[in-house]
Amino acid sequence: MKKAMGIIFSNIYDSTLGQLTGQRTVASLPFGGRYRQVDFVLSNYSNSGIFKIGIITKYNYRSLMDHLGSCSDWDLNRKNEGVVFLPPFASGNTGIYKGKLEALYSAKHFIDNPDYEYVVVCDSTVLCNFNFRPAIIKHIESGSDVTCLATKCKKPTEKRNPLVMKTGRGHRVSEIRINALAEAGEYEGMGMFIFTREKLVEALEEQNSKGQVHLERDYLQRCFNEGTLKITVYPVEGVVLRNEDVPSFYANNMALLDKKVRDGLFAGEDPIYTKNRDEAPTYYCPGSSVKNCIVADGCVMEGETENSIYFRGVTVGKGSQVKDSIIMQGTKIGKNARLTCVILDKNVTVRDGAVLVGTPEHPLIVSKGETV
Amino acid sequence: MVFRKKECVAMILAGGQGSRLMVLTENTAKPAVPFGGKYRLIDFPLSNCVNSGIDTVGILTQYQPLQLNEYIGNGLPWGLNSASGGIHVLSPYSKAASSDWYKGTANAIYQNLSFLERYQPNNVLILSGDHIYKMNYAEMLRQHAKNKADCTIAVLEVPLEEASRFGIMNTDASGRITEFQEKPKEPKSTKASMGIYAFRWEILRDYLIRDNDDPTSSNDFGKNIIPALIEDGKRLFAYDFEGYWKDVGTIRSLWQSNMDILGDKPLLDMRSPEDRIYARNYSDPCSYIAPEAKVENSYIAEGSTVHGIVKNSIISTGCVVEKGAIIENSLVMPGAVIEKRSVIRYAIIGEDAKVCANARIGDDPEFYDANKWDIAVVGKDKEVEKNTILLPKQVY
Repeated sequence: MKKAMGIIFSNIYDSTLGQLTGQRTVASLPFGGRYRQVDFVLSNYSNSGIFKIGIITKYNYRSLMDHLGSCSDWDLNRKNEGVVFLPPFASGNTGIYKGKLEALYSAKHFIDNPDYEYVVVCDSTVLCNFNFRPAIIKHIESGSDVTCLATKCKKPTEKRNPLVMKTGRGHRVSEIRINALAEAGEYEGMGMFIFTREKLVEALEEQNSKGQVHLERDYLQRCFNEGTLKITVYPVEGVVLRNEDVPSFYANNMALLDKKVRDGLFAGEDPIYTKNRDEAPTYYCPGSSVKNCIVADGCVMEGETENSIYFRGVTVGKGSQVKDSIIMQGTKIGKNARLTCVILDKNVTVRDGAVLVGTPEHPLIVSKGETV
Repeated sequence: MVFRKKECVAMILAGGQGSRLMVLTENTAKPAVPFGGKYRLIDFPLSNCVNSGIDTVGILTQYQPLQLNEYIGNGLPWGLNSASGGIHVLSPYSKAASSDWYKGTANAIYQNLSFLERYQPNNVLILSGDHIYKMNYAEMLRQHAKNKADCTIAVLEVPLEEASRFGIMNTDASGRITEFQEKPKEPKSTKASMGIYAFRWEILRDYLIRDNDDPTSSNDFGKNIIPALIEDGKRLFAYDFEGYWKDVGTIRSLWQSNMDILGDKPLLDMRSPEDRIYARNYSDPCSYIAPEAKVENSYIAEGSTVHGIVKNSIISTGCVVEKGAIIENSLVMPGAVIEKRSVIRYAIIGEDAKVCANARIGDDPEFYDANKWDIAVVGKDKEVEKNTILLPKQVY
């Protein structure tokens, strides 16, 4: 049987997420009450039968290693396969990565494995519940060198996407634009690709010799324009959340309050796995009021809260009012505090009576471990 | 193969059928009964072992072990997936000369003496798989060693009027057990056995072999082994346990012990991190509490969705409480669905059961004579049709 391996980039978009990625990779950024962003792509791989996985890391990856442990929670502690960290291998002509292409090149020894015919490559910022099996079958059938997973635009976008594609018959790509706005009917990339291994390894050698580093611009667009690369789009329907900066991270967390979004991510046959914490269920005290909230285990709710996302082990003190906020693991909110549109990172302490106000466009962020 | 010698190996008796919990245990052993939103009864002795530094555990199963075996798996959720020791499910097996089911608690251990022999433990701890309590066995074993005891039995002070329901230990001033009375009509003390025994390995082995040779014995620790030890003048000591302990043998006690985890200062604190209870986790997303929901003095576990009113209750993993439903003073077990406008009071809703719209299950004790009132129960996987009324004490 022809097998596929998986690659995960753990640092893309680190710079646009500000304080949230101060001490962690974007892959280990907490999302949706009990997850880290990397849980989605790891679960997708695991659910698709992709068990040979390399995680390309650059810096700040201690929290990611801590989160993954032996990977048994994702059913990925395999005897012959499993998860391998691929930190920068700073020797010869490679150093710290400047682009995804360069990063893939330094993981070439891992990728160039004749047991695996196909290589699936994913960012960790695009969240969806997706089974790669049918996409890999389509990739094989199409005879393409690369299949780009992408969503179809219903109306012109206001945000630039790293990879915008026009397609012709059979979803064959007919035009590629980089960091562009998409028109209705065009496809926006998801940072998810299926490569045929031999072709990819060949390209990595060649592009490296030319000093090219950028996957989309230097390889996909250039080679496509030169006519040497056959690219197909695999359209992904359903819920796809792109967390590329703070406002989108905030909005996508809040989107989980919508049943359709929740069901799109969690109601299907394939579960999204995460690390277990063994917290007790959440306790709702007499006199508390919790409305329209996502709540993980281990919280103690005494105050009033609405439209918010609670990670594990959070406490909300008596008389406090929390609205439209994201409260990460282990954070303690004292009594009579008032919080609106805030993102409290892990283990934050909010003093009694504190008032913190942000806006949906600029949520107020409190960094890990701080007291306010 | 060489086995590392162990200071202590724990044996958990998990073969119980739990006939009085039948409708909740259908096709499952009693230790697999759900508790507290995300736990099962077996999680308590297993987690206590781990929290006490015991890394080798045998679980003796017999009745309907499929779900329990699956739940225990390789012991990973409790950190018992260890190469030197770890968790071992011990089912009855065929031997060369004969094959037997476990005939009694003592016989179950007797049939697995060869398992214990491999670890040459100094002490063996005998535990039950269906008691709710948090206990550090290390303290008990320390006292056991200090007393140079042959056997130490954990005891709990019970009210005098309840003492006749238990095995009662009479002790001298030093805590040495002088007499054991099984369910005495006129109890001489109020120290009730909790069914937790620490034995010196050689003593346990010798007495189990002797017990097995006695055809009149009913092969039970309480009835046979302990009295025999006392008769022979062996050193038996009581270990006083102070804290929460409940044998959840009946529907009422199962309900009560679930209610005991609620409140500001609960009788049983599930949130204290130092003696945490571990459970197998499934990949449920977070719980969702809707705008129209109202939740008070309740535990709600991950994976559940609440649109209705929940008061003084426990909603377990993966449950759905629809709009207009009211749940009060009740335990809803994992995966149950409570449809629109149903009212559930003083009830247990079994695993994956479904209560259709407008049903009424159970009621408040204040409207009933004490002998006519009890917890209403909807069994595992049952579906209660809409508009059904299930009175207190009724079982569906």
